[in-house]
Formats: sequence, C-alpha cells, structure tokens
Amino acid sequence: MIASVAFRNFKALRNAHLELAPFNLVIGPNGSGKTSLIQALMRLRLLSRLPLREPVSAGERDIADGPEVTFRFTPPYDTSEAVISCVSDVQCDLLQVDPLGNDWPGLRGRLQSMRSYIFDHHAIAAHAPEREGAELTANGGNLAAVLLTLREREPESLAKLRAELIRILPEYTDLVCARETDGQIGVHLLLADGAGVIPAENASQGTLYLLAILALAFDPTPPALVCIEEIDRGFHPRFLREVRDLLYQLSHPDGFGLKRAPVQVIATTHSPYLLDLFRDHPEEVVISEKQGTAATFSRLVDRTDVKELLEDGSLGDMWFTGILGGVPEEKHE
Amino acid sequence: MSDARSGLKLAIISESPADEAAIKVLVEAVLRERATWLTPTLRARGWPSVAQVLPAVIRHLHFNTDADGVVVVVDSDDSVVHTPAHDAPGYFHPHCRICQLRAVYRQTTKKLPAARGRDRVLRAVGVAVPAVEGWYLCGRDERVTEAAWTSGQETGVMPYTRGELKWRVYGTDRPSLAHEIKCALEEVARHRRDTRRLEHDFPGFASLANDLRSWRRQID
Repeated sequence: MIASVAFRNFKALRNAHLELAPFNLVIGPNGSGKTSLIQALMRLRLLSRLPLREPVSAGERDIADGPEVTFRFTPPYDTSEAVISCVSDVQCDLLQVDPLGNDWPGLRGRLQSMRSYIFDHHAIAAHAPEREGAELTANGGNLAAVLLTLREREPESLAKLRAELIRILPEYTDLVCARETDGQIGVHLLLADGAGVIPAENASQGTLYLLAILALAFDPTPPALVCIEEIDRGFHPRFLREVRDLLYQLSHPDGFGLKRAPVQVIATTHSPYLLDLFRDHPEEVVISEKQGTAATFSRLVDRTDVKELLEDGSLGDMWFTGILGGVPEEKHE
Repeated sequence: MSDARSGLKLAIISESPADEAAIKVLVEAVLRERATWLTPTLRARGWPSVAQVLPAVIRHLHFNTDADGVVVVVDSDDSVVHTPAHDAPGYFHPHCRICQLRAVYRQTTKKLPAARGRDRVLRAVGVAVPAVEGWYLCGRDERVTEAAWTSGQETGVMPYTRGELKWRVYGTDRPSLAHEIKCALEEVARHRRDTRRLEHDFPGFASLANDLRSWRRQID
C-alpha cells in the first residue's frame, strides 16, 4: 500500500524518510514522531476524499519550505507519488498526485479505507446504536454494534472471533451482543462454569482492548492500512504474543489460511516485551529518534551490526539500554 | 507409561507456552511417568534472560514451593555447542550455554540451607541446537541434527537457518501461538514412547535426559 513517506518540516519531522513494510512496529521516545507519522497518513486519507487541487508551483506559495509530506506506493500504484503541502501557514490542505493517471480512482479508494485507532476502554464498553456497526471507529466506541453486524452478515467470522477470544481468555465461554434497555447494543461476556455474565463495562481494560483488536483481525473486509497506537496498552506481557499474532493475521493473512488482501499495519509501542517478539523479523522494527526538536526514523534491519545485536540478548533489553537508539534524551549539567 | 501423576513435582523455565507444552511431553517420555507441573508456569525472555533469572527462580522454587526439580531448556542460537569434553570434571566452557546454566545452578545452590524436607531442587538442563524446532524435526528430516549444525559451524557453511527450521515445522515464518503449540505437540508425539533417536541426533537433548534419569537415584 504505502511504500514510503518523506517528511519536510512536518511537526518534529523536519527531514525524515521512512520505507514502510507490510508490518511496522514503531518504537521511540515520546515526541519522536510516531503519532505524526500516523497523522500524516490520516491527512492523506482525508484529503484524498476531496477533489484534487491543481498543481501549485513553489513560487506561487505564500511560504517557503513549508510542511510537506511525500508518499510513494507499492504496486500497482508504484508509478504515482502523492504530496501533501501547505500553501500558507493556515492552509495545509494541498494534495497533489503525480502523475494523475487512470489508476487514481483505485488508489483513492485504497487511501480512503486507511484507518487509525487509539482504543479507549470506556468507549469500547459503551452501548452503541445498531446502525453504527459498519466499521470500528477510531476509539473502538461502536464495538457492540460492529459485533452485532458481524453476527448478522458474517456469522462464520464472528464464530472464529468468539473461538479465539475463548482460547486466549479461557475464563469466558461466550460473547453475546444484545439490545439493552436503552435500545442500544451492548456486549456481554459469559463466564466459564456458569459463574455469571460480565457486561462489557465491568470487563477489564485488557479484555476490552483484546475485543477491539479481535474485531479488526476478523473483519472480513478490513481496511487497506491500519495504524494502532500503544498496541501493548492494558495487556499483560505474556499476552503480547497473542496481540502480535492477531496483527500478523491482518498483515500476513496467507500464513493464517485466510484468502483476503493483506492489511498494512503500523503499530506503536513502548513495551520492550512486545519488541522482544520481533527478534525473527527485525525488518519490521522502526526506530524513531528525537535529537533536540527534530525527529527521524530508521529501520533496525539497516544497522550493520543487527546480526550481532540479535545474538547478544533480547531486543527489549537492548532498546532500554539505549544501544538501539529510540530512547528519551536526558539533560546533563 | 502410567497415567497416574508421579510424586515428582516439576517446574519448567521456557520461552513460550509452545516450548513448554512440547518439553513437558519429552520430559515425561524420558521419566516414563507423568509429572505434576508447578503453576503458575515460569517464563523467560530468551537468552541471556534465562541465565539472569535462574538464580532467583531456583531460590523461589527451593524456599517457596515443594518442587522436586527444575527443567531448563534454551536454544543454542549461534553459541558454542556442548560436547562430551565439556563434561570433564572441573571443565567449564564460558560460551557454552549448558556449561553456563549448570554453573549458575551450582553457584546458586551451593550455600542454600535445606528447605521443605530436601537439600536442593534438582536441575535438568538441555540446549536445543540451534533451536527447539530442530528437535521437532527429528525423525522427520534426517538432515536436521546437532552434528549437521556443528559441522556447519566448523566449515562456515550452515546447513540451514533457524528461520528455515521454523518454516519447515510451522509452514510459515509468522506462526500464531495456537498453531505453534499444535505443531509442537504433533512433532514430539513421535518421541513419546522412545526418545533414543532424539537423544542420538541431539546430544543437547541427551544431556537433559541424562539429568532427568539421574533424579531418581538422587531422590531415592
């Protein structure tokens, strides 16, 4: 989908470039551009909905060296380049596609299906109107409606989702979507051994986040690209392997026996334990760095000593020590 | 093999639930009896984390549980492979993981007072060369042996990579945990009744088996 992103003066990303893989785990200190990367992608999605502007030459712009983000794409769209730039300080909505060929409608459709998530357990637990179940919203706030829609339209997918939930969290035996007294849809979890029913609002944060990720992983028509911030949040370190597997199910469906197009995944984390799980695939790890107020990206696999690093210990420990970079700057007197 | 759980209460330190499930089968196959497994299970984050947490694990098992023994299995990765020469009295190879783990155990238990009716928690150490997937392929792919790997280390031409072994076992380089457990259990089922082939092809497993067989003598 997205092959690379190049930034110029976009927030802290003054001069940064990143080649994107089918799966990307982005690590780095706060304020190092992880969220800015996702915001740039979502801005591309937003602007792709609008009619394209006529090309504006640099000379016609009010500001010089204003923010600019350049996107390149994977086949079959690899001949196109999309550039978001600013005409003035207050107008940063210029999307230009070059060349604007016959494949723009197809590419535009793919761009518009990109999604970004920052899950909120309060929102996930909330009841949702039935009509809002088409796709999961950015905070997971319509999960109940999404699951109900899945049950009605793709019952096999919901059955697989339910089976995976029960395998990962064996304290539950079932997942039920039902109309609540307020007329909206709510989610309930049935405890094993008939020990009772847990409404979503009483479920743990980790359980709710897992439900949201399951809903993405078992979406029969998933987005072209999914960004998830703080993917480790709320999970016990031992559960992170399951979380990684669900994301791999999105990005590498063939490995899971699924016959659908792969979803490009960009996930951010601050968890060394999650990073440990990428020892066999260092090409999927992106390190964001902040030096002063400027941020850059690099790929772990591009380091010349990556083989030795992987032999010497866990990636998480290496990251914490600072060997990999991607750690906060410290002020020294 | 009897279905009745034996008096041996054991702990495993493993890197994943898949390793743990397979190693339990192999340990019971060697002991020729069922064991009682300590819960919650112990997990480490790969090498060198295993060696780092092992002293604390041993002390915990010794003082806070009634475990009879602890089973430690790690991958060799690209480290020096254990050889019979390493077993010579007083010998210790600083880059061999079996030697290192045995040394950690020796140092940790040396000054522990008796607790819970035993002098110490017994240990069984095995190293899968180069990874546990090698053990899984034993009996299915005769080209995968510890000797093939060490020969590759000597000549500089490796017979396979760890990634290739994973692919051969799981059919993908990104197996889900559930798939990994399923494949691991299917593969070790070949050795459930007879571990001699595994011990022959993988001396790192034979070390584990020898440790386990010595436990009865030490306990009785």
